[in-house]
Amino acid sequence: MQSSLFVRATVLAALGTLSACGGDKGGAAAHGPATKISIQATSDAGADAATYLKQLCPKPLGGELNFMVWEGYTDTLFTKPFEQACGVKVNATYMGSSDDLVAKLRAGGAETIDLVSPSSDAITQIIDAGLAQALDLARIPSYGDLMASFRDLSMARREGSVYGLPWAFGPNPLIYDTTKVKPAPTRWADLWDPKYRGKLSMQDDIATLWMAAQTLGFDQAADRAHLYNLSDEELGAVKTKALALKPNIRKYWATAGDMTQLFQSGEIVAGEGWPLMTAQLRAAGFPAGEIIPEEGTTAWADHWVLTKGARNLDAAYAWLEYAAQPFTQKLMADVTNYIVANPTAKRYMSPDQVATQRDIADYGTKVNFWQWSPRRERYTEIWNEVKAAK
Amino acid sequence: MSATRSPRRYGRLLFAALPIGWVTVLLLLPYLFLFAHSFFRLVDGQLTHQLTLENYGRLFGTALYPNTILFSAGIAARVTLASLCLAYPLAYLLAFKVRRHKNLLYMAVIIPLWVSYLVRAYAWKIILGQEGVLNGFLMSVGIIREPLAVLLYSKWAVMLALVHIYTPFTLMPIYAVLEAIPPALKEASTDLYASRWQTFRHVVLPLSLPGVVAGCTFAFVLSMGDFIAPILLGGNDSALMVSNLVVSLFGVAFNWPLGAAVSVVMLTMTVTLLTMARKLEDRWGGGPAGRRLDAPTTGGMGRGALHA
Repeated sequence: MQSSLFVRATVLAALGTLSACGGDKGGAAAHGPATKISIQATSDAGADAATYLKQLCPKPLGGELNFMVWEGYTDTLFTKPFEQACGVKVNATYMGSSDDLVAKLRAGGAETIDLVSPSSDAITQIIDAGLAQALDLARIPSYGDLMASFRDLSMARREGSVYGLPWAFGPNPLIYDTTKVKPAPTRWADLWDPKYRGKLSMQDDIATLWMAAQTLGFDQAADRAHLYNLSDEELGAVKTKALALKPNIRKYWATAGDMTQLFQSGEIVAGEGWPLMTAQLRAAGFPAGEIIPEEGTTAWADHWVLTKGARNLDAAYAWLEYAAQPFTQKLMADVTNYIVANPTAKRYMSPDQVATQRDIADYGTKVNFWQWSPRRERYTEIWNEVKAAK
Repeated sequence: MSATRSPRRYGRLLFAALPIGWVTVLLLLPYLFLFAHSFFRLVDGQLTHQLTLENYGRLFGTALYPNTILFSAGIAARVTLASLCLAYPLAYLLAFKVRRHKNLLYMAVIIPLWVSYLVRAYAWKIILGQEGVLNGFLMSVGIIREPLAVLLYSKWAVMLALVHIYTPFTLMPIYAVLEAIPPALKEASTDLYASRWQTFRHVVLPLSLPGVVAGCTFAFVLSMGDFIAPILLGGNDSALMVSNLVVSLFGVAFNWPLGAAVSVVMLTMTVTLLTMARKLEDRWGGGPAGRRLDAPTTGGMGRGALHA
């Protein structure tokens, strides 16, 4: 297996080179600013999307778009109408983690993948490594409709250029089974209680170390970057804290499906997850509860980013403009339960769903958006040590 | 004459070029790249071609890496032993005791190999879970009151799945060797008043050792390189085997040089094991049943090769 990864990477790189030589069908020709399309809004997001797409793509654009995105971001609910109306084939791959995405882009993926949906940590690394191209905002006239506090996040900007189209954000909440966890938990620290022995699931990711660090009070409101740049001494304490949680962990989850399955098969009663899982569990009739613990939590903000090697730009900008629309974002919220970047999406939502939507500004100091750090590899090693401990 | 000979020669060349090219491009070159990468240095998260021994220093200087290799070897050794205990009697039965439907029975052993690895691993989740088939059965007959958590998401679940998946690999070479033992040898032993046990101990067992070695090598190398069972069935004590570490280093950590160094150490262990196995086969493989079963040279690639 050692070599197969390598072979895969080599083949990927080779394919990248080939496709780069293969000429571009979309055409990188200069395009003037797009005009904003306005439609007569109804209360049906799906119908509005169809009406809108007819005007966005009066004739098929053709070609393909390759996405590498978080699970749920290319659901057929809103991807299929785009594919049909614009005549563009969307090929989507899921990413396992931010590092996974950055590694794939660096290993030649920036040439074969057109659009990615990095979180607030990976986007910095992707821009800094020259793997992204700045957005031509004139071609995304609806950009200004997106949440101002989201557009203001510094990680998607570099030297006056904007590299990311705000899409969704969300905290990593504590999810629990309301029938089995009573009273409801209020803090991360509650999870260390021996009564949860073998009853929790945590993400197989350094996010679990961040959570342990917040429990230890290492997250400082005055310096949000500190959580991602802990000293060796602080990391040692975090490791000890994470090791102390091990007896309570049934399994580390790798995908959203893993976690929901663990809840549904009665293996676990609580854990750190994503709002997506709460949505999926509730949709399946499972009594899932969700809180932001008192210690605060880490959060992600996802943007659409155009890769350096993206070639089918007409299709890519059509997708970006479509992605910024309120009905598209409402459909995405249906799938993911995330907080979406276009506040007017609330127009299509039920009162319950509107209640899930917040402005970034409302969270104040409760959430810390993931950041990139040169210490990241050290965190990964410590995380592997936590997993390896018996 | 020459006009007819040369196309034939070209044909022969072409015939040889295919396997040689295959092995060179898909096996030798990747291994060479891997070996080279293990000496490269990572500067500010970027791969540079400066040569260094740092990766090996860090590998052997950080408890995580040797410990994980040893842990994986321990799992692999137990899986091998269990697979051998299951496969040998089964191969013996198939080779000597079963008269009718022999092929059918052999196929029954082999058919699970046609089912996707993932499907088989998921099947164990359904069987072993706290609300699974096994716990449900044990509780309904009153053997246990509370579901047993240790059945799933534990070291045992990982080993069980690996034994299930790699036992056919152990069985096949043993069966091949046993089948090749001429009945005359066993008859001669019986004629000389040897008991059944003596015949087995002095005739059958020594002749079957090359198959045992080949089968055990298969089971050990493949289970040591496995990374799917720990992800799907591992719990808080068994979520990390050495291949998961390699996946993490090549993936999320983006430290290819260290990942390559771990892989080279693994590869060296595999090659040493294969060489030893071959030596043993050479020593034991002189008899009439001494058909040499070359150990798998692609063993180090483990499941990944099949899933790539």
